Amino acid sequence: MNDGLVAYLPLMAKAAGTSIWLSWLGLLLGVVVGAGIALLRRSRIAPLRWLALIYTEFWRSIPILIVMFFAYYGAPLLLGFDLSPFVAATLALALHASASMAEIIRAALASVGRGQWEAAQAAGMSAWQVMRYVAVPQALRVALPPSIGVFITTLKESSLASVIGYIELTKTGLLVRDATGGGLAPLLALGAFYFILNYAISLAGLAAERRFHVGRRQDLVGAMT
Amino acid sequence: MKTPILEFDNVVKKFGARTVLNGIDLSIVPGEIVCFIGPSGTGKSTLLRCVNGLETIQGGEIRFEGEPVRGGHRSITAVRKRVGMIFQHFNLYPHLTALQNVMLASVVVHKEQRDIVEKRARGLFERVRLSHRIDAYPAEMSGGEQQRVAIARALCAEPRLLAFDEPTSALDPETVGEVLAVMRDLAAEGRTMLVVTHEIRFAADVGTRMVFMDEGKVVEDGDPRQMVAAASSERARQFLGRVQH
Repeated sequence: MNDGLVAYLPLMAKAAGTSIWLSWLGLLLGVVVGAGIALLRRSRIAPLRWLALIYTEFWRSIPILIVMFFAYYGAPLLLGFDLSPFVAATLALALHASASMAEIIRAALASVGRGQWEAAQAAGMSAWQVMRYVAVPQALRVALPPSIGVFITTLKESSLASVIGYIELTKTGLLVRDATGGGLAPLLALGAFYFILNYAISLAGLAAERRFHVGRRQDLVGAMT
Repeated sequence: MKTPILEFDNVVKKFGARTVLNGIDLSIVPGEIVCFIGPSGTGKSTLLRCVNGLETIQGGEIRFEGEPVRGGHRSITAVRKRVGMIFQHFNLYPHLTALQNVMLASVVVHKEQRDIVEKRARGLFERVRLSHRIDAYPAEMSGGEQQRVAIARALCAEPRLLAFDEPTSALDPETVGEVLAVMRDLAAEGRTMLVVTHEIRFAADVGTRMVFMDEGKVVEDGDPRQMVAAASSERARQFLGRVQH
């Protein structure tokens, strides 16, 4: 490893923080929007269900690169004002993540057995109370492991924000490579950064799963009938 | 003559083209323990589920304490607060401990103070003989224990009517007795109970009234002991003969 690269490592570490921040924001927005879409998928009104289904299928069928271009070049045409690369990248990641999260949340809610909803309703709970106290706590445990996967995917997808001019980890790595005269080392360093970040997310996810007792036998009981 | 707590007035329930309840007329007064018996698929459980609006009816009327029961309508909450339901598969909340299961509705729906509810809940665990299991999760309990927790959960909201939907059908034979024992205690307190069951002996011993249903209709309605000894209808006689060997 040449001396030049080592000097640039703090810069890359800082850029890694930028990538984490960008994808965390995208995921957060994706969870909020995805939860809304998942609820629409359960709506009694058929056109709302179709709308939610089309939304999900559309966004998860389009490569993130094209969503990035859409958000940066296309959205201003619709909105009438330009978006900064950061806002456009966040929007693109959020659109993609929301489609995945909608499916995860829908499946997690569907995994809560009918008997659970009935017991809660029979006790006099409102639709909101059934969600808050009975359905969501059980669905969370089902949704957590695949949500960690979405976070990791989003972080990897954030590397494509470089194509719309946002300087995150990948772009920084490529600039460092140019500045240090090319070679493999900057790319290896880049890969190492992504690996460390994603592995940390995985470990944090496992810790969260343990905390919420995901997979403990108790989760299966109410699922019957 | 007491005022009825629950009335069925020509109740019709259909699932698509299939008629499950075909003109049910019944009137139940406080303190009665009504056991519903009959072949599977004759609408006994459905009838029970109509009482608290888990199913909506297509014809006739159900009145609980004089008020019409309307499934799918806002007013159903008022009925559900006063009817305790016990399910065949217990349906305890798996993410909550036994104590939390029992307390939840009283705190959240009835807006009672937590410490008052907890005191009452602990008393109920004593009555269903499960004080030692208060902090267990449903998955850590046997079926019989889970069903007794479910009974405590129904009781905690201080219901006017208890509805048991085949409470022992999903249990191992050795735990059926402990659930029936708790139900006997409740009967002895003079609670109003509707029990859909295949336990004919329990129905004859504990019930004050037996309703035999077949093909969505009430075929016979009378004193349990008398009915078990000599039912007046041919179909009831056949059924009772079969289930008692």
